[in-house]
Amino acid sequence: MNVELTGLTRRFGRTSAVAGVDLRTGPGVFGLLGPNGAGKTTLLRMMATVIAPSSGTMLLLDRDPGSYGPRRQIRRRLGYLPQALGYYPGFTVLEFVEYFALLKEVPSTEVSRAVASAVERVGLGAKAHAKLRTLSGGMLRRAGIAQAIVNEPRLLLLDEPTAGLDPEQRIQFRELMRELGQRATVIVSTHLVEDVGAACTEVALMDAGKIVFHGTPTELADRGAGHGAGDAPLERGYSAVLAEARS
Amino acid sequence: MSDVNSVAGVDLDRTWLGVAAEVWRRRPGHIERAATRVLRSPGLARALLTTPSLVVPWLIASVVVLGAGTAATFGSGAPWVPLMAPAVAAAGIAYAYGPGIDPAYELSRSMAVSDRMVLLVRAVAVFGIDAVIGVVASAASSSAVGLTFGWLIPMTAMSALALAAATLARSANVGVAAGLAGWAITVVSTRAATGAFTAAVTSSLLTLPYAAVGVCCAVIVVTATRVSRGSA
Repeated sequence: MNVELTGLTRRFGRTSAVAGVDLRTGPGVFGLLGPNGAGKTTLLRMMATVIAPSSGTMLLLDRDPGSYGPRRQIRRRLGYLPQALGYYPGFTVLEFVEYFALLKEVPSTEVSRAVASAVERVGLGAKAHAKLRTLSGGMLRRAGIAQAIVNEPRLLLLDEPTAGLDPEQRIQFRELMRELGQRATVIVSTHLVEDVGAACTEVALMDAGKIVFHGTPTELADRGAGHGAGDAPLERGYSAVLAEARS
Repeated sequence: MSDVNSVAGVDLDRTWLGVAAEVWRRRPGHIERAATRVLRSPGLARALLTTPSLVVPWLIASVVVLGAGTAATFGSGAPWVPLMAPAVAAAGIAYAYGPGIDPAYELSRSMAVSDRMVLLVRAVAVFGIDAVIGVVASAASSSAVGLTFGWLIPMTAMSALALAAATLARSANVGVAAGLAGWAITVVSTRAATGAFTAAVTSSLLTLPYAAVGVCCAVIVVTATRVSRGSA
């Protein structure tokens, strides 16, 4: 198991953003669905070791990120794309990706090839020398994905990765996720259920800080059979599970 | 997002990747190579020399503060600027350790090279440059000796205090408070002891204590960064 969460909580003041999450998952593409404010981003930030849990236990890549040494080892094999990607506007795509490759401690001898591979995989080769401030929103998103995969992560956390991508790019990105999911655990937080249906092997649905459904996309779609609002089976399953959880 | 192509057994993607890696390879400059050797980390060296949101403003701020202090001291003999400089530096370092300044802060928090270590290295680098400027100024004018040792060292000590507090508390605001409080206590206590309000920056007796505080805080930061518990 690359991710093992037990009773994980995170509070901000009196608000529980994540309220007792249990989750175990191995290699594959894992979709994290839920309405705004469900706690998806907070859960991803904890798994990215950006913020600490308030309680509960977390094992990532079989290590406890609560200690400095294991945390550093996890981070070497971690890829993270935040919802709001911060970047240095004066950096080129290559400089941006290389900068994070070095901070992830990719060996010096492998950096240039790793950077070239990541930039090509997201289809930004033609813009490799372009300054980030000149890129469109979709291209910036792809540059963010490139920095996330530059270290060949075993745990890849993507928060709304397809936001800003056009339909063609989204199809290509799903293909990339499936490819990465063969070797790594890819956890994707998204509002787009069609992304989950197309690329994910497992899916969890969060509401009010808790996981209210965990299964395969087919199982989620089955939950919506005969009831639930939505135009597609997954959408009906999504709304049916949410309605049940809130009733 | 790339297709696998092959012609006559040649994997074109793989071949192109090798070409791109070579063509796109960045050759680090002399300074970056030297910094890599000293720091034993290419990531730290790169972060030290290339992060535009932090390094350039700090260098500019250092030059401005040193220049203003020199001008004020030469102009009026009043040490108010040097008296305030350590607090300004302490606040600057603590706020540099936060999401409002560094656009890639969220990403940097998930990196194997600790963001605190990056910050410490940046601080040391800025102080090093300040010290060089101070020493050069001292060589040019004997009156700059007092300015350098009465000002630069307190600034180093208070900034190190702010950094250590921010690191231990994991809060920039706590760091700012610690730096400002430390400086206020120093100024008030030296006034009580000597009767002079500006003794904190004019008394040569304080040089060693300032240096000791700076070294101790640096040790605290390094130790806390290497053995800290918790995942944030």
